[in-house]
Amino acid sequence: MSEARRIPFNNPGWAGNTGEFQLTEAQVRGDEYVGKRPPEGGHPSGTSTYPYMLAEKDPEAPLFEGAYQERFEKIRSRYPDARSALLPSLGMAQELRGHLSPETMEQVAQLLGLSPAYVRGVATFYTMYNKRPVGRFLIQVCTNISCSLCGGDDVLQAFLNNTGTEMGETSEDGNFTVMEAECLAGCGFPTTVQINSRYYENVMPKDVPEILERLKAQGE
Amino acid sequence: MMTDQQSPQTVTMRIDGREVTVPTGTTILRAAESVGIEIPHYCYHPGLSSPAMCRLCLVEVEGWPKPAPACKTTVAEGQVVHIESEMAQAQRTGVLEFYLLNHPLDCPICDQSGECQLQDYVFAQGREHGRGREPKRVLGRDDFGGDVLFNGDRCVMCTRCVRFMREVAEDERLCVVERGNRAVIDTFFDEGLEGSPFAGNIVDICPVGALVSKDFLHKARAWDLDRTPSVCPSCSQGCNITLQTRDDLVQRLKPRENMDVNGWWMCDFGRHNYEWINRVDRVEEPLVNGETQGWPEALGSLLGRLKEAKGEVKAVTWAHSTNEEMGLLKAMMEELGGSEVVYRSPRTVGELQLPGFPLLARREDLAPNVRGAEILGFTRVGDEEAEGGLDDLATHKGVLIVVGDPLEDQNENFGAQAELFIYLGSYLSKVAGNAHYVLPTTTFAEQEGSYTNVQGRVQRFWPGIRSPGSARPGWLILGALFAEFTETEAPIGADQAFVQVAKGVPEFGEITYRDMGTRGAPARKSAGVAGD
Ligand code: SF4
Ligand code: SF4
Ligand code: FES
Repeated sequence: MSEARRIPFNNPGWAGNTGEFQLTEAQVRGDEYVGKRPPEGGHPSGTSTYPYMLAEKDPEAPLFEGAYQERFEKIRSRYPDARSALLPSLGMAQELRGHLSPETMEQVAQLLGLSPAYVRGVATFYTMYNKRPVGRFLIQVCTNISCSLCGGDDVLQAFLNNTGTEMGETSEDGNFTVMEAECLAGCGFPTTVQINSRYYENVMPKDVPEILERLKAQGE
Repeated sequence: MMTDQQSPQTVTMRIDGREVTVPTGTTILRAAESVGIEIPHYCYHPGLSSPAMCRLCLVEVEGWPKPAPACKTTVAEGQVVHIESEMAQAQRTGVLEFYLLNHPLDCPICDQSGECQLQDYVFAQGREHGRGREPKRVLGRDDFGGDVLFNGDRCVMCTRCVRFMREVAEDERLCVVERGNRAVIDTFFDEGLEGSPFAGNIVDICPVGALVSKDFLHKARAWDLDRTPSVCPSCSQGCNITLQTRDDLVQRLKPRENMDVNGWWMCDFGRHNYEWINRVDRVEEPLVNGETQGWPEALGSLLGRLKEAKGEVKAVTWAHSTNEEMGLLKAMMEELGGSEVVYRSPRTVGELQLPGFPLLARREDLAPNVRGAEILGFTRVGDEEAEGGLDDLATHKGVLIVVGDPLEDQNENFGAQAELFIYLGSYLSKVAGNAHYVLPTTTFAEQEGSYTNVQGRVQRFWPGIRSPGSARPGWLILGALFAEFTETEAPIGADQAFVQVAKGVPEFGEITYRDMGTRGAPARKSAGVAGD
C-alpha cells in the first residue's frame, strides 16, 4: 500500500476537537484517480462531480457546451426515457451555474423534452440542488438526532450569528450560506457540519469563529 | 391450487364475510366495489394510474403480516380480507389523524363541504379530537389560472391532479414541489393552467376542497344542490353530465361517467357554457297575434288556420332541438306536404381531443344534435356562426314554421310576408314578434328528451329545473298538433314521442328510452350519414 493511501491513525478528524479532515483527496481516493479528472467533468460516465464547489460559478453559463455537451449527450444516450437523464443533467447544470434558477429548470426541460413543471417537481424534491444562489462556502449543519443531542442547534445558531445571516441566506461578502441539514451520516462525531464537499466533525459553537476565519482566508 | 371446475380466469375470495368472484388480476378495492363495498381511498381513481401513496385504503388480509393497500393488491384464490376489522379500522383512524395534522378544518367556508371525502371519512372513522399541539403549517391559496383555485392547506397530497394532467390531459403543468411536510402542489412558477382545455376536471377529482372552481366559488352548498342526469348541449360529443341546480337555476355542470362517450371527464368549454340556460327573458305563455292565450284556444285556432292555409310550408330548426322535436316536425311537414326542413348549427375549426381518453373530443359542431338532424334528413344551411342561409324563408309567402332557433341574425322583416307564421321557441326574439303564433317551449334542462351525438349514440336527458310560465316541450306541442291533424293518439311522454319518431327512421330502429337508460344506445349505422 502506498504511503499516500494510508489513513493516519491519529487524524484529528476522527475524534479530535475541531474535527476537520486533514486528508487530501489523493489520500482518500488514491492517486491514480486524482488529477485525471478535469474540472469540467472528465470521464463522460461521471455526472455531477463537484456539486458543492461553487466558488466562481457563472449563472449565465451556457447549457451545455464543449465537454459538457459531450457529457450531456452521453448521459442522454444511456436511458430510453428522458426522465431518467434528468437528475444527472440537473447536476451538471448546477455544477456550471451554481444553482438551479427557474430559467435553468426550463432550459433543462427543453433539452430533455420534459415539461418544466415536472423538472421543477424533481429539482425541488432533492435538497442537494440549490434553488437559489449560495455563497462560496455552503455550510450545512446537521440537526438530526445525534447532532441535536450534542448541541447541533447551538452550532447552527453560532454559524448564523457569526456569519450574520438568516437560514439559507448568503452573507453580504458572498462567502457563506448556512443551512440546516438532516442526517449527514456523521452520527459518531456530532455535531457534523458539511462545508462544500468537506466534513467538519465534533464541531462546537466555540469552534465556529475560527472555522469561518480559515475559510475566509481560503476564499481570498 | 385450482380445482378442475374453476376457471383460471376468475378468483373467489371473501371480503368482510361476503364471497366475491372476480376476474384474476382485480384489485381488492375493485373486488369490494363489485359487491357494493366502498373502501375509503384518495389516490386511487379508476381513470388514473395507481401509486398507492395515500395509505387510506389499507385493509387486513388474513395471514399477512402487514396491512395491504387495497387499491394495488390483487385478489388471490381463497383470500380473506377484512375492511371493518379492528385492525383495519385502526389503520384508517391513524392515517386520517395524520391527514388532519395540518388541515385547517375550515369546512364552514369550504366549497367541498358536503361532498368532501376527508369530511366523510373522518366523520365515519376518524378520531373525535386531534392530539396535535404544534402550530399548523400554513400554505394559503394560489390562483392556478383558468377556473382553478388552489387551497394548499386542504390538500391531502393524493396527486390525482398531477396525474390527471400528466396521464390524461398529457399536458404536465402540475407538480409536487418540495417534499415531506413542505410538499405542495404547484404549476411551473407563474405558468398556471391557462389554456389547458380540460383542466377543470382536476377540480372534480380532487377528493377534498384543495382545488375548487372559481366560477362556483361560494355559490351554493353541495347539499342544497339538486342533481339531474343530462347531456352537455355545447358540442356534438354529447358528454354525459349532471345538471347541478338550485332554486331552478343551473349552478354548475359536472361530468357523469360514461365509458362509451366521455369517461369521467368533460371539457372546460362545455363545463362553463351554462349561463344561457338561466336566461330569464323567456316566453311564458302562448301568444296569438301578440295576445296572450291559453294553450287549448291557441292550439285550437292554430289547427284551423293550418287546415285552411294554402301556401307552401317551410320550416327551420336548429341543432339544439331534440330528436323528438325534430322527428315530429318532420312528420308534421310530411303531413302538410311541406318541403325539406333546414337547420343551422355553429361550427368551429378543429377538435380538441383529450389525449388520455381519445373517445372524447370537443367536436367542431357546437350543438348537441347535428347527427339527429342528419339522420332525419334535414338540410344544413347558414355559416359557421349559424347565421344566414335563410333568404328564401325570410320572404316566404306561405306557411312558415320555426322550431327553437330565435333567429337573432335575421332582420325584423323575417316572416312578415308569411300567410301563417308559427314560432316555437323559448325566447321572444325580434323575429318572433312577426309570428302569428308564438308557442313557448322548454329548454333541454326543463324537459325530457334525447340527442344523437357525433358517434350516433342516442342519449337521454331529464328535466332538472322547472320551466317558466306554461312553456311546454316542443315534442308535446308538435305531437298534439300532429295527432289532431291525423286524428291519432298524441304522445303524452317523451318516451312515446321517441317511439313515434323512431318508427319511420331505420337508424333509430327499435331503440326505446328503456334501452337508452342513463348511458345511451347506439343508433344503427346508415349509408346516408357520414360514419365515424
Ligand atoms: S390538490 Fe386535490 S387532487 Fe391535487 S394532490 Fe391535493 S388533494 Fe389531491
Ligand atoms: S366535449 Fe362537447 S359535449 Fe363534452 S363537455 Fe365539451 S362541449 Fe360538452
Ligand atoms: S387508494 Fe390505496 S393507497 Fe391511496
